[in-house]
Amino acid sequence: MSSLLNIGARALLANQLALQTAGNNVANVNTAGYSRQSVLLQSVAGQFTGAGYYGNGVEAATVLRNHSDFLTRQSMLTGSVSAADGKRLDMLKQLEDLFPGGADGLGAAIGDMLNAFSDVASAPSDLSARTTVLARADELASRFKATASRLSTMQQGVQTELRTTADSINSLATRIARANQQIASEQGSGHSANDLQDQRDELLKQLGALVKTTNIPADDGSVTVFLAGSQPLVLGQTVAPVSITTDEFGDPGKSKLSITRGGTTVALDETTLGGGALSGLLRFQNTDLVDAGNLLGRMALALGTRMNEQQRLGLDLNGVAGGDMFSLGAMPLVLPAGANTGSASVQVAVQTTPSSGATSLQASDYEMTFASATTGTIRRVSDGQLTSFSAVPAQIDGLNLQVSGAAAAGDRFLVTPFRQTAGSIDIALGSPRALAMASTVAASAGSANLGTLTLQSLLPQQANVNLNQTVTLTFTGAGTFNVSGTGTGNPTGVAYVPGQSINYNGWALTFKGTPQIGDTYTVQANAYPGINGGNAEAMMALRDAPMFDGASATDGYASLMTQIGVKVQSAGFSASVSQSIASHTEADRAAVSGVNLDEEAARLLQFQQAYQASAKMLQVAQTVFDTLLQNLSR
Amino acid sequence: MRTGTANTYNNALQQLFQRQSELAAQQEKLTSGNRVNRASDDPQAAALAERAMVKISRVETDQRALEVQRGAISTAETTLGDATELVRSVRELVIQSGNAGNLPADRSVLAKKMSDLRDQLLTLANRSDSNGVPLFGGLGSSSAPFADIPAGVQYQAIPGQRSTTTTGLPGAMNGQAIWMDVKSGNGSFEVGLNVANNGAAWTDAGTVTAPGALTGNNYSVNFSVVNGLTTYDVVNTTTSVTVATGQPYTDGAPVQFDGMSIVVHGQPANGDAVSVAPSAQTNIFKVLDDAISGVDNKPGGNRMSQTVALALRQIDTGLDKLQAARSQAGVWLNRADSINSAQEARTIALKEDKSRAIELDMVKGISDFKLLDTGYQAALQSYAQIQKLSLFNFIN
Repeated sequence: MSSLLNIGARALLANQLALQTAGNNVANVNTAGYSRQSVLLQSVAGQFTGAGYYGNGVEAATVLRNHSDFLTRQSMLTGSVSAADGKRLDMLKQLEDLFPGGADGLGAAIGDMLNAFSDVASAPSDLSARTTVLARADELASRFKATASRLSTMQQGVQTELRTTADSINSLATRIARANQQIASEQGSGHSANDLQDQRDELLKQLGALVKTTNIPADDGSVTVFLAGSQPLVLGQTVAPVSITTDEFGDPGKSKLSITRGGTTVALDETTLGGGALSGLLRFQNTDLVDAGNLLGRMALALGTRMNEQQRLGLDLNGVAGGDMFSLGAMPLVLPAGANTGSASVQVAVQTTPSSGATSLQASDYEMTFASATTGTIRRVSDGQLTSFSAVPAQIDGLNLQVSGAAAAGDRFLVTPFRQTAGSIDIALGSPRALAMASTVAASAGSANLGTLTLQSLLPQQANVNLNQTVTLTFTGAGTFNVSGTGTGNPTGVAYVPGQSINYNGWALTFKGTPQIGDTYTVQANAYPGINGGNAEAMMALRDAPMFDGASATDGYASLMTQIGVKVQSAGFSASVSQSIASHTEADRAAVSGVNLDEEAARLLQFQQAYQASAKMLQVAQTVFDTLLQNLSR
Repeated sequence: MRTGTANTYNNALQQLFQRQSELAAQQEKLTSGNRVNRASDDPQAAALAERAMVKISRVETDQRALEVQRGAISTAETTLGDATELVRSVRELVIQSGNAGNLPADRSVLAKKMSDLRDQLLTLANRSDSNGVPLFGGLGSSSAPFADIPAGVQYQAIPGQRSTTTTGLPGAMNGQAIWMDVKSGNGSFEVGLNVANNGAAWTDAGTVTAPGALTGNNYSVNFSVVNGLTTYDVVNTTTSVTVATGQPYTDGAPVQFDGMSIVVHGQPANGDAVSVAPSAQTNIFKVLDDAISGVDNKPGGNRMSQTVALALRQIDTGLDKLQAARSQAGVWLNRADSINSAQEARTIALKEDKSRAIELDMVKGISDFKLLDTGYQAALQSYAQIQKLSLFNFIN
């Protein structure tokens, strides 16, 4: 009888706990990181009698946390990757907006400016046509500057976000360390501290969204958190703080995540971070933003340099050789590595001899490593291609790297030729008269020419000491001519092909038609620069000149747009894939740990009925007892 | 499999967001009319459109330049027409001057008229297009390529002719070839009377009978009148070889030697001579100047006839040059028309390229929009339905 009462009371208690737990589950249905709990019921050991073991009812053994370490870790890891991809996509989309196509784009500005030279070629002495050229050039320079300034604003934004993210990582790491401590101190109770563990898992998950971590549980219930596979961020209850630092060159455009433990700071390689918003941001800043800046800067530097060169080959309205059209700002940055021991410094400029490097520039940074004072290798950062140099100044991809001072073996330099140009390009000509639109050379037909030879174009193309020297072409037949003049080497019997350019002394001459024997053409200094648009035509010819990896000046922007568009597109694909994987693993985790309200409703009913039955049990016991007492009182 | 309620709600919401943003993106495409609104939508198509845009503005630029060139060439064509008229007028006056009834004073009046026309001709040759570029500046010139200096007219420009290109015409014509390249005499050789001649003989400009036999040497036809019988010898003065001796002379009969034929009129005196020299390069202005000074205040006679004959022959050569240049200008103007229509066709093709690359097919766009809209509504409804399903709704 008392045992029935005991069984009933125990059952009442156990079911009440079960109801309480179901209620707790319902209450926490929307709590982030909460793992569904359930009461582990077990029967109390039976009492031995002569008639066998009689059960002693039920008791609540413990509260279980429904949780799979594997799924939780998976969800965290895939969440990390998805956060990195998503962050990079967000940033890339912003970057893409800086490079619009159509009439508002840089491409249209370049095209408009080069097209404006056509009006000057039509009316060389017309000041309004010249003013239009200057206005278009100014517009182009200001579009370059506006884009560069927005890039730099983005760069600053990314830098701020990186710092904030590092602070968040530190704060989360501190909270995880504290949770480790609490969990370890409650480890002795023999029961698992479910809610604390949920909280710590949630913190780990938040941390994983910022940077990918590897978590190893220890015996005392604490978790050791590693960054980049091997660097302990949280070790038991201690935290190694992270910070954002520059790379070994102190490049202001790039960042690294560093971790400090025991007074030693280690910069982590960005590729080992693996995931998390921070990793996405770092990749965006160190790769995508730098690439975009280089593409833009290369465009400004190549076009500006080429146009300056062409402008110098012409004569202005006063008959004077032209000056620079664009001022291209300060010398590009070359940063020495912090560990350099030599006294060398490196200056970089666009190569001018033996020929101009303006059209062979590659949009990349370079790393120069010295093996001795004058030898070493240059690594193109964009594709990792190594080129060795055996003398200084070294030349690579249209750049001239001048070394002053003595480099020690192992010294390294980061060359960033294109970081500054787009931000500082400006128009250097003040007056439309200063536009050097007349050619310095002119071709004249012999007055006794009989053939149908007509001049298609005569363009001054390269600086040459003999550019103005008088050169005479004498045709010795319909298909050959002799050349005489300083600088030409006086070749004879040169083949003549209509429409194909004849190049001597820096000019390019193209004929159409058929010459007669004895016909002559003479190239000499231009005697009539006042009404001459020869250099304007040479400027127009830049429209088709290969300039950006072989693409012409006006098509270069289209390929820049494509490169950035393809980046955004592929980042979009990977973001959607990793997002989908993350949401599936989260669904899998939720399938084990998440609260299902229908289930809890069923459990509530189930345990309510059990509770009611248990209460009934007490009533039965009381009735039985009452019956006994009544019978005894008779 | 059990599912977490909160996770289910989250997923459902995510799906709704997803559909909503797809719908918004499609709406953006519909309103902008473009399938590609940013490069990442379709990088290749975006680049294609960008390149097409660049080419379209290039064609516009070329067309603008073509209009300027067409204007210049068309002005040049008119100018050459005017010049032809002027030279013809001078030719009339030269013929008039040759009229035997004229007194020297009459010829002075005619010479003044000719001189006036010659100055007008020079103005025509120095004409510029609307941008101040001389029409006959060749490959480059000062603002007035034809300078009238005491020694005659000089071409102060760079001779030569620009080619037509696939998109444009030359902006100027070769003034050297048009105005400054007239062969003296009949274009092959020049016949003149010796200054010391006393007789009344005069010649025509001569003709070439056998081009292969021409030597390009100087000759002298020497007349001798002995006993009333007129004969002539022909001496090659370059080689000092006598080509013919003692040929009988008949008035109006051709004197022929070494591929040349010269008709001599009138009676030469003994010792008179006719000189023959190869043609030299002269110019239309020099031709006119010579004609003017040849008739100005001069009496009639054999020398006048000689001057008129030579002047007419040379003026005709000059006229041929002007007319040839005029027809060349006409050909170029035709070419401008064909370039124009080709460029217009090209613009249309480029616009089509651009449109194909990035513009939205509206029918497809609207149908896609409807589809997405329906999908979104279905998602909303199913969400609303499913959230009603809860066991708690059935527990009372």
